[in-house]
Amino acid sequence: MNHQRRTFIGTVGSVAALGLAGCLTREDDANGSSDADPEPEDPDLEGTLTVVTYESMIDGENPAGPWLKDAFEDEYPDAELEWVQLPNQGIGHYIEQARGNQEIDADVYVGLNIDDLVSVDDHLDDGGLFRELNEDRIDRSSRIRDGLDMGDPHDRVLAYDTGYISLVYDENVVDEPETFDDLTDPAYEDELLAQNAQTSDPGQAFLLWTIDAYGEDGYLDYWQDLEDNGVRVLEDWTESYYGAYMNEERSMVVSYSTDQVFATDEGHDLSRHQVAFPNGQGYANPEGMAIFEDADTVDLAYEFLDFVLSNEAQAEIAQRNVQFPAVEDEYVDLDDEFDRYAHVPPEAVTVGYDDLRGNLDSWVDDWGREFASH
Amino acid sequence: MSPLDRLPSDRGRASEWLEHHALVAVTLGTAVVLVVMLYLPAGVVFSEAFVDDGLPTLGHFTDVLTDPFYFGILADVFAEPLAIGTHLGSLAAWVGAVSISLSVGYPIPGLDVPVPWIGIDTPGVRKGLFGFTAYQAALSTIASVALGLPAAYVLANYEFYGRQTLRSLTILPFVLPGIMVAVGFYAMFGRTGTLNSLLGAVGLGPFAFIEANPLAIVILAHAFYNAPLVARLTVTAWEAVDARTVETARSLGASERRAFRDVVVPQLAPAVLTGALLTFIFTFMTFPIVLALGGLQLATVEVWIYDRIQQLDYAEAATLAVLETILSLGLTYAYLRYESAQTGFARAPSPPSKERLIPDLRTALSLRRLAIFGYGLVALLLFVGPMASLVVGSFTDGSGFTLRNYAFLLERQLEGASFQTQPWPAVRNSLLFGVATLLVAVPMGVVISVVTVRAGRRGRIVDTLAMLPLAVSGVVFGIGLLQGLVFGISLPGGWRFQVTGAVAIVVAHAVAAYPFVTRNVSPLLGSLDPAMVESARALGASRTRAMLDIELPLVANGIVAGAAFAFAISVGEFSSTVILASGSESYTMPVAVERYLGRRSGPAIAMGTLLLIVTAASFVVIDRVGGRYEL
Repeated sequence: MNHQRRTFIGTVGSVAALGLAGCLTREDDANGSSDADPEPEDPDLEGTLTVVTYESMIDGENPAGPWLKDAFEDEYPDAELEWVQLPNQGIGHYIEQARGNQEIDADVYVGLNIDDLVSVDDHLDDGGLFRELNEDRIDRSSRIRDGLDMGDPHDRVLAYDTGYISLVYDENVVDEPETFDDLTDPAYEDELLAQNAQTSDPGQAFLLWTIDAYGEDGYLDYWQDLEDNGVRVLEDWTESYYGAYMNEERSMVVSYSTDQVFATDEGHDLSRHQVAFPNGQGYANPEGMAIFEDADTVDLAYEFLDFVLSNEAQAEIAQRNVQFPAVEDEYVDLDDEFDRYAHVPPEAVTVGYDDLRGNLDSWVDDWGREFASH
Repeated sequence: MSPLDRLPSDRGRASEWLEHHALVAVTLGTAVVLVVMLYLPAGVVFSEAFVDDGLPTLGHFTDVLTDPFYFGILADVFAEPLAIGTHLGSLAAWVGAVSISLSVGYPIPGLDVPVPWIGIDTPGVRKGLFGFTAYQAALSTIASVALGLPAAYVLANYEFYGRQTLRSLTILPFVLPGIMVAVGFYAMFGRTGTLNSLLGAVGLGPFAFIEANPLAIVILAHAFYNAPLVARLTVTAWEAVDARTVETARSLGASERRAFRDVVVPQLAPAVLTGALLTFIFTFMTFPIVLALGGLQLATVEVWIYDRIQQLDYAEAATLAVLETILSLGLTYAYLRYESAQTGFARAPSPPSKERLIPDLRTALSLRRLAIFGYGLVALLLFVGPMASLVVGSFTDGSGFTLRNYAFLLERQLEGASFQTQPWPAVRNSLLFGVATLLVAVPMGVVISVVTVRAGRRGRIVDTLAMLPLAVSGVVFGIGLLQGLVFGISLPGGWRFQVTGAVAIVVAHAVAAYPFVTRNVSPLLGSLDPAMVESARALGASRTRAMLDIELPLVANGIVAGAAFAFAISVGEFSSTVILASGSESYTMPVAVERYLGRRSGPAIAMGTLLLIVTAASFVVIDRVGGRYEL
């Protein structure tokens, strides 16, 4: 399957990239990438590794977190893995702590998105908060699919899984939408449910997807057409899916391409859980892991990153979190059941770091203002 | 003298000292709590609105006030306040373009019931985000009062089986997390929801209740939260009405209607208006229910504050929040002026006796009784419906009945790791914090009532400022807690002032809750005859003694009602709790609901059901215990 990462074409995008290159040179002069965390002769693999992660990694149903902890501690008997729940404000919490020159008492962050990195660099010094990774110390990093390079110019992050945003539709009511333009067609009038890009991850992913498709000069016109065709933008995924979609308010919702895994599990009729990839695409949301700049147990943290990319860990994370593994197919064995119901788009798109940097906030703002004008 | 002999007189002196200074001590304690847990965190964020690059500025306010996105047509007025001619000209042009028509409309979706419809066709006015927010809050307030007053009437005037329990449970919607209300509304009013299933059984529908008018659904959801508040406040006042005044009016020849209008209504008005005021303030700062049910087209100011905070743009968030607060406090001040003008001379409440709701079949079929039953049906659909649908949802999945969501809770309780959220600690913390909040908030609220109620204009200003917890954006307050208390403030000498954990949560809850005690108690206290306290004082009673022996027993209803609110606020509070409980074991039930929310909603809904059951049981107990002290 083709996991090619599309580059986003747009005038401002390239200007931002240019500006960034200028910053990069200065960084490189001061701190050459080859200097990043040289491999120690005798790594210190004792102590407590504190790992921050989002709720569903440790608190949801059948989460991967407890398994990871046990397996990692089996492999490194002198180490203890301590999970810490990501505070409510997400990455903003750590940005604030760094701004206030406070000590951050965590070593590893699991669940970093590209826009988190952009937010870090917008509010702190370029390349801040996390260490530049020496990938030579993470042997399995070469297993990661090409398409899942998160594009960080400072090499702070490695993907460990990915999800794809897609449309989920009811084939009893509407035909499969083949393109984005189809969604503005009368056949889909008052049928689409989406989420607020200001508050919701899938909402933001869907907005970025339309920006990828129509460019930053065209996406607002496209959304105007969607609005004229009656799109409904709700707060977050739970309301739109478990509230509106599951009570059959509408026949199409922006959701995840793993939808059928859950629908089968809950005993729902799959005719209401068809997955569509308009324009033959799905929007990839790779999730990454990174080591905090002032981590105490750096050696252990490197081992942990490598461990997460191992065969077994990749399979467990994928199946428990219902996400796709980050490594190439030959390095992971998934159950047939998972392969059958979790769909991979023919083409994966994502708007990369360079294009998001300096643009994301204003894209979302302009979009939000257009929608909420009274 | 043996030490034993000395003890009583010492104790007597100590209690005498305490008696003289208790009021002052509690007042000071209240002031300290407010400074640390309210003014500090709110101030930390609010100050960002007045600073740009370290220099004081009002530029942020100019930017927001003159932005048509926020203030619509008013932005032009703010931009050029002196161009009065121009503004009057555009107003005249607008009025000239208004047209009024009479037509026949079909307002009930799916039903061909013609209703005469007065169409007022106005040229579009750009309301801006603030204008729209105020507009939906006004509609929500009207709906909440309209749906809350009949409930208060029935609960205060009729006796029926389960009345006391029902009265206790009116407060229940208050504690439900927003996401649960949204899911409950979809499960009740959705196209395949409970209501359509019921209608389908008699061959009607399905109707698209939610799709037909999203704004109406949002307003109903606001009424779901706030009509019980109006009802609760009004019932408390109604039961404190001096029935003898009604009898006097009747004996002087006033008709029943006249006596009600001239004697009862003035005694209820402060409570009803308090309910309306609180509803307006809450729904003005509503979040996240508008977007969960209505969509981004119905975004309010608070949505934008949240967005700014997420982008770490504190200056604009703070500016919007300060404007929200000014508006809320302005309304509060206006209301308090009215309330203090209502000082009456009620001596003691002697509540009107309650009529039996269904004494016999014939009365049950009277027009008034039928109207009551009609209202009961509406209340059943609107208030019980979403909650019942939520409970049903926790037991069902695609293949029918299931217990897996509760199996999840049980398994997590029995086998969960220490870093996972478990149901029982959440229940235990919620109850402990609730009781502790009640114990802190009731003295705070009562003291503020006692200190301000007759202190004239200065008291009114203090009272207005004391309502600040209700008038500060919840999102901004949360960030203030994080920056001011969790991260801490650097003090000279390398010290850092930090407040977190269980005590901080209780105090934060108490700060959010005491205004409810004050607003329940003040109107009753204000209507007492001041001569009673003065006589007691003249006879040598200390101010504290006079308060304990004379005033408080007469306003016991208000205190109990306020205590129940304090408990409810604590149990339902989410935004501060989640910040202060971060990284500790002090999570509560709403926090657990949020944490269990994953790709399957079942576990969170089961936790939400547990929250409903635990809270319902607590309210019944609180009201039963509190009822002993009521009159």
